[in-house]
Amino acid sequence: MISLASYLAISFALFVCGILVMIARKNIIAMLLGIELILNASALNFAAYTKFVNNNLDGHILSLFIIVIAAAEASVGLGIVIRFFQLRESIHIDDASTLQN
Amino acid sequence: MFTNTLFLLSAALTLGGAIAVVYSHNLMHACLYLLASLFGVAGLYAVIGADFLAATQLVVYAGGVVILMLFAIMLTGGTGNKINRYGLEKVASMGNKKTYFFAGFAAIITSLILLKIIAGVLRAQPAKVLEANEATVNKLGTLLATDHILAFEISSVLLLGALIGAAVISRPRKEKHD
Repeated sequence: MISLASYLAISFALFVCGILVMIARKNIIAMLLGIELILNASALNFAAYTKFVNNNLDGHILSLFIIVIAAAEASVGLGIVIRFFQLRESIHIDDASTLQN
Repeated sequence: MFTNTLFLLSAALTLGGAIAVVYSHNLMHACLYLLASLFGVAGLYAVIGADFLAATQLVVYAGGVVILMLFAIMLTGGTGNKINRYGLEKVASMGNKKTYFFAGFAAIITSLILLKIIAGVLRAQPAKVLEANEATVNKLGTLLATDHILAFEISSVLLLGALIGAAVISRPRKEKHD
């Protein structure tokens, strides 16, 4: 039951859910939730390959860096969202249509 | 037996949380379902013996990212009036029929591409018997400080840049018209 195929299937489902969330939502924070799901799917893939294919720990290292990058991305993205809310009083993605004011 | 139970529970939590994130109509609920999904991923890490990864996932995601997102949701919730001065609603809707139609189309195409790739990968990989898990923290520390030291340092610089960038972007400006 615990095999590479099941891990790839779970990661596949997570990735497709992330794509769905990222495209279907009209809310900037909800789109960031989808990006987190996609990053988790890829990190899970790396860890599964380390366990089931070769036992050197490079996959774990890559998963760690993915987690670090996801944290940095979330902080900067939410900062941008809060600044955008201060300017436009909205977090609708259709409202973000101009580059300057 | 214990490992199988943990695997089944974690997989159900992960998939259920992810599907609930797709279908929930409340942003706060979607964030909490994402938290459940991340807990499930941590359990999946624990099943394949990635103990340090599971702990990092719990600390960084459950303790950091989800709390940050909850703060951002509450900060951008707006006051009583729902319509801003541009005529759009302040807290945007979670999508409508049209966006879900296009998203489903994109998801079908993406899943077909991924299935094509995964089928080839699985055919090339013979099934492997599971070995016993061993602690990885020691080896991970050695690898991070020797082989991957450059990426480690670059990620520290990236985190510093993200810190300063987030503080600069979201600081309150002095010139406040209206």
